Amino acid sequence: MLLRLPPSLHYPITVTSLLKQPGDSIERDEALFWYIYETTVIEGDGLGNKIEVQRRFPTRFESTVDGEIVQWKVTKGDIIDEPVDIVEIDEPCAHEVQFGGLCAECGKDMTESSYNTEIMDSMRAPIQMTHDNTTLTVSEKEAARVEEDAKRRLLASRRLSLVVDLDQTIIHATVDPTVGEWKEDKDNPNHEALKNVRQFQLIDDGPGMRGCWYYIKLRPGLEQFLENVAELFELHIYTMGTRAYAQNIADIIDPTRKLFGDRILSRDESGSLTAKNLQRLFPVDTKMVVIIDDRGDVWRWNPNLIKVSPYDFFIGIGDINSSFLPEKQDIGATNKSLPTSAEKEKEKKKKDKKEHHVNGATMKAEGETEVSALEQLVTMGGGDNPRLLQEQTNAQEETIMHQVEDRPLLQKQKELDAEDEVAESSEDSSSVDEAHDPNKHRHHLLEDHDQELYQLQDRLEKVHTQFFDEYDKKRTHALGGRVAALRGEKIPSKDKDVDLKLVPDVKDIMPQIKRQALGRVVLVFSGVLPLGSDAQNADISLWAKSFGVVIASKINIRTTHLVAGRNRTAKVREATRYPNVKIVTTQWLLDSLVQWQHLDEEPYLVPVHPDDRGEPISPTSQEVAEGTWLSSGDEGTGSFWTEDEGGNTPDMFKSAGFNETSPIGYDEDEQAAVHDELKEFLGSDDESESDNEALTEESTMTSKKRKRGEGSEEGGDDELTGEDGDETDLRGSRLSQRIKRSYERSTGLREVATATGSAADEPLSKLPRPTGPDDEEPDAEAAGARRGQELSYPEDPAEDDDELEREMLAAFEDGDYDSAAEEEAAAENG
Amino acid sequence: MFFLKEETKIISLHPSYFGPNMREYLIARLNEEEEGRCTGDHFVICVMDMVDIGEGRVMPSSGHAEYTIKYRAIIWKPFRGETVDAIVTSVKPTGIFTLAGPLSVFIARKNIPSDIKWEPNTVPPQYTDHADQVIEKGTSLRLKILGVKPDVAAINAIGTIKEDYLG
Repeated sequence: MLLRLPPSLHYPITVTSLLKQPGDSIERDEALFWYIYETTVIEGDGLGNKIEVQRRFPTRFESTVDGEIVQWKVTKGDIIDEPVDIVEIDEPCAHEVQFGGLCAECGKDMTESSYNTEIMDSMRAPIQMTHDNTTLTVSEKEAARVEEDAKRRLLASRRLSLVVDLDQTIIHATVDPTVGEWKEDKDNPNHEALKNVRQFQLIDDGPGMRGCWYYIKLRPGLEQFLENVAELFELHIYTMGTRAYAQNIADIIDPTRKLFGDRILSRDESGSLTAKNLQRLFPVDTKMVVIIDDRGDVWRWNPNLIKVSPYDFFIGIGDINSSFLPEKQDIGATNKSLPTSAEKEKEKKKKDKKEHHVNGATMKAEGETEVSALEQLVTMGGGDNPRLLQEQTNAQEETIMHQVEDRPLLQKQKELDAEDEVAESSEDSSSVDEAHDPNKHRHHLLEDHDQELYQLQDRLEKVHTQFFDEYDKKRTHALGGRVAALRGEKIPSKDKDVDLKLVPDVKDIMPQIKRQALGRVVLVFSGVLPLGSDAQNADISLWAKSFGVVIASKINIRTTHLVAGRNRTAKVREATRYPNVKIVTTQWLLDSLVQWQHLDEEPYLVPVHPDDRGEPISPTSQEVAEGTWLSSGDEGTGSFWTEDEGGNTPDMFKSAGFNETSPIGYDEDEQAAVHDELKEFLGSDDESESDNEALTEESTMTSKKRKRGEGSEEGGDDELTGEDGDETDLRGSRLSQRIKRSYERSTGLREVATATGSAADEPLSKLPRPTGPDDEEPDAEAAGARRGQELSYPEDPAEDDDELEREMLAAFEDGDYDSAAEEEAAAENG
Repeated sequence: MFFLKEETKIISLHPSYFGPNMREYLIARLNEEEEGRCTGDHFVICVMDMVDIGEGRVMPSSGHAEYTIKYRAIIWKPFRGETVDAIVTSVKPTGIFTLAGPLSVFIARKNIPSDIKWEPNTVPPQYTDHADQVIEKGTSLRLKILGVKPDVAAINAIGTIKEDYLG
């Protein structure tokens, strides 16, 4: 290796003599050469005074490594100003493989350090690359070599690597002793389903969990799946369970160790308890690796990942090994498509119960969904914190204890039985339910109808085929080129031409396939994600984005799908006005993502309430509206309406939608009343005003609607304000611009309302009127600061208002604002 | 290398054990705690006998009795250059993991004779010279220790089979 001078010397230094010649052997800490350096020191001058003088000191430079000198890079008399390579030394051992602090090749202690040590020898081999041992580390060079060998071997046998997760991906495990009892009990309704549940006992599982029985349900078709896939892939296990757990599972799913061998990585060796890292197994190159896992976040949405839908056999158990992972963002609440309000109540009760008897750390009860990105970061970063670790360990122990003691399954079955009796009479109410709701399993809780593995196999085969097609193509191409270059010289034999440079990258191929499926989809969520969560970074969004799906926050002409968690949200209503927008359930998106197909939307369409469908806009004005909408959206000021406004409105829409479907406060009658009123309102417009003004109506109506929802929310206003406050921080001036615009629109409405005077008789006295200063947007305060300049702010370019109207508007706003500002001030003071 | 070593240990006994069987209890405690222990420097293989149990001293405030026990034990301290027999626990492309009793020994690829090659396609994977020599999980090996590194509660060692009469 080349020996380099450390930066700590007193530069410049002058080499005065070389002590060793090429061919000499040198030991560590043996002098290599003499040099002199110059520095200022304080000396006494013999009279008691201290003076600073320049002095030159001769010093030896000592070698930091053993070996034989090959070549000097400096000569006698050289003046060296900065760290440079000085000598090449041939080491007998480069310590490339180290085991527990020892060089595995020469047996030297790598952790030794002396005054002369700059870089510990142990840093020369920083990479762990064996599955089941953390003490063995290798250098990058060695890792690359081993990996290259592995790749050649895989290419020769035309296989890829597949990293398999255990919990909820290919198996589902629980420690609930109820399972054992049900298994024994032939009369139990669940007996049939539990017939092939396997079990094992872990003895050394830490204090408090002695001899706990684990019940393992294999995902349907697992055996066949593994066998088929093993022909195309070399299988690795990567689990967050303990080593003993992983070994036991491997004994069950692969008793002969034909499939996995000893390629098992558990959390004991993972190095991180919160995230999985592909570099841990494939430190150099992940071109030929595919991952299957039910959680995308732990892999940070690695492009090699195929996310599978979680296997949830023991309902409500979740993943028993996920205490350490960041909490799962749950979209499960929306899986149950369109539950009736009665059922919602029931479910809510159940949730409460669940949270009560089950530890929150693992049980990702559907209620606890709001995990902010920050919180996640904290959890991720906290992985190394021993105290946190201890807490998490305790949490897991507790969870297991809870499961053992509280038997969530038993509770559920009890609930179910009780429900059964009730449900006999009201059969129809719960038949709307979809697969994941336990309500559906009338007589037994556990059902086994999972098809995921069959589909998964297809997808894996697809990736495999595509990969090797690409590889073959590249190889024949390259071979042809080389043959031409060699001009008839001997063609390299078939076996040797495994050219690693030609290996295509799974990271390119998989997204390509995925994009083919859903690449042109632009979708908007409505009522899917919890209020206030970031629509772009939610789990489902990230997952969808890996397919090239564009997530928009606002419906416009480019939108292709509206994914609705409920019907009757404001966005659903808005989407009905766009003929090309398909309103589908969340299940459509999930199924499409899982199956890698653009599924037919027909079975997933959300039944749109007839009241919502007949949007109170005449078709002509609607078209005009759309036209201008688009043009204004594409140019000039309108563009920040479509983009920025969207960021804020979903929350408002959602809050509105929430109120509309929730049992309290805003039932269908009232809604119908609102629509009637709107119709009336519009109808009068259509008679008296031109199309352009109808457009004004159209845009203002949205804001009005929004306002109404907001107003009717009553208690929710505070929350909204808080949110808006946050957004202000984040978005700064853009937000205020937006607010300005929305303010303008609402004032525009006021204007029109005064002109026509027909909307004055609103029947809903409980809903605050949008025209009154009382229901100014809470954030009007922020907008108020800009009121002064805003007077001259132009209206939407599509609007062709005359000068007079503008002046009137300005005057109106001015006065209006003053009163609003007064109120704000009063509110603040009192 | 094995040694017979005299050591002392302090055992503190809960008052509930005070009684006629105290001596047996102390022996049982000693055996349980000492045998198989790794001090980081050596392994305690077996406690031979107790030289002296000493007088118990009741500790103020807790009531526990402290006994200073002198005992003789067979210990094993692995040395560099020592030849041991070991059983293969797993084989990797980088080398072979073995266990020589309580000591885990790693044999790097460089320290395996060059005619014995890594063969990953067999089940289980193995090192083989494609003749009669096969090294896979469970195989017995005779190896020479190249280096020993004491740790807090374990000893790691490096071995070689690339010499005569090894393998």
